[in-house]
Amino acid sequence: MSVEYLVKISKPMLEGAGTTISLFLIAIALSVPLGFLFTLMSRSRFKLVAGFAHTYIYIMRGTPLTLQLLFFCFGLPMLPVIGEFLVMDRFVAACLGFVLNYAAYFAEIFRGGLLSIDKGQHEAAQVLGLSRWQATVKVIMPQMFRVALPSVANESITLVKDTALLYAVAVPELLHYTLTAVNRDFNLTPFVVAGVIYLMMTLALTLFFKFLEKKFKYE
Amino acid sequence: MSIIQVANLKKSFGSLDVLKNVSFEVDKSEVIAVIGPSGSGKSTMLRSLVNLEQINGGSIRIQDQYLVKDGGYASQQQIKAITSGMGMVFQHFNLFPHLTVQGNLELAPRTVQKLTAGEVRRRSQELLGKVGLADKSDAYPARLSGGQKQRVAIARALMLNPAILLFDEPTSALDPELVGEVLRVMKQLAEEQMTMIVVTHEMGFAREVADRVLFMDNGEVVEAGTPEQIFDNPQQERTRTFLNRVVRV
Ligand SMILES: Nc1ncnc2c1ncn2[C@@H]1O[C@H](COP(=O)(O)OP(=O)(O)OP(=O)(O)O)[C@@H](O)[C@H]1O
Ligand SMILES: [Mg+2]
Repeated sequence: MSVEYLVKISKPMLEGAGTTISLFLIAIALSVPLGFLFTLMSRSRFKLVAGFAHTYIYIMRGTPLTLQLLFFCFGLPMLPVIGEFLVMDRFVAACLGFVLNYAAYFAEIFRGGLLSIDKGQHEAAQVLGLSRWQATVKVIMPQMFRVALPSVANESITLVKDTALLYAVAVPELLHYTLTAVNRDFNLTPFVVAGVIYLMMTLALTLFFKFLEKKFKYE
Repeated sequence: MSIIQVANLKKSFGSLDVLKNVSFEVDKSEVIAVIGPSGSGKSTMLRSLVNLEQINGGSIRIQDQYLVKDGGYASQQQIKAITSGMGMVFQHFNLFPHLTVQGNLELAPRTVQKLTAGEVRRRSQELLGKVGLADKSDAYPARLSGGQKQRVAIARALMLNPAILLFDEPTSALDPELVGEVLRVMKQLAEEQMTMIVVTHEMGFAREVADRVLFMDNGEVVEAGTPEQIFDNPQQERTRTFLNRVVRV
């Protein structure tokens, strides 16, 4: 096994990793705020809003992500009448699937964070004259994110690995190029290289979240 | 001149009548100690004054404005204005753990009152000095002892210049050796003519600092009077029974 061979197979694989990273960044950037929105909705005073959020979370967490991705990429265009308007670029459709799916998980994580906050925090904020909204933004949310941080870290690492599901909807990413190389060269080195690339990505994430946890230790 | 008037306060949680017919008045600059057995409704009474509990009947009048009149609440806006004249100190401090000591003091004045950062800073430094914690302004609550936390909580409540301070068992969560430092701060506030209602199990404090003592039992104010009247010459059997069970003072 030569260095040249490694460079040769790594180039397309790193390109694939670029797709993986793009998907990851898009999915995180959109699903975290969307998830928080669902958390707020699930606690709404309006039964209809809360019911919608609960149902949404139930469906997204209760069905396989692969099924959802296939549905967005290949199912939606089959809908009568409106289907033809729902043909998306497959990468876009996959992003949509990931965002909608992970939003449900983040919603649950944030809900857990909210539940962990003592009632006394709301009361102190109220007695100090903060409005409900001010209390949520200045007192509750920062604590909720702090509590949720380890679970968010965990979920993010899962997301990196879940990007491999792009393979199922034929969007070329890291795994796709890995298999191309394996099949072409009849050699397992690409698997190892792919593993190392995934590990580097998850290591970077782990370090990033360690840093955040330290920064927001509040001690 | 009474600054708080409570008349025929009624409150129930489901079928449990927690406050049955509570009436009392507090004069400006008075220190009231509220004592009584667990579950007698002391916290519920105190919390209804700052609208943390909604009552089912009766009236609460604070600084000549009705928070509730005959069971009917004022408008949201009025409620906000009325309760803004009161500060509250909780048994478990309820400091904001994600903010430093200084951040805890400055959050409300900066979000609610829109004062300049300089004015707020001057006041927070002054109050931290007053409670003896000038050197802790950058510490997070997690790094403080219980006594220090409670003194921060008192300073935080004072930031908004309340006319009335309410304390719900401010020393009950503290190790015995830390009780004194908190009581000292409260005593100083009393000397400075702050109007205070203090729910407490510290009979020594009640006797020494309070102008009047309310004894509550089973959702009623059973007896009220000067510390001498209540502790040395209680008129009601229930008061005597309670005082015999607590430590002699
Ligand atoms: N949110 C609530 N829901 C139902 N019951 C409640 C609630 N809050 C208080 N109670 C009940 O009301 C009664 C009075 O409670 P409260 O906390 O006012 O008593 P307390 O005099 O402060 O007692 P303690 O000395 O233990 O603090 C108790 O029987 C309590 O169980
Ligand atoms: Mg109580």
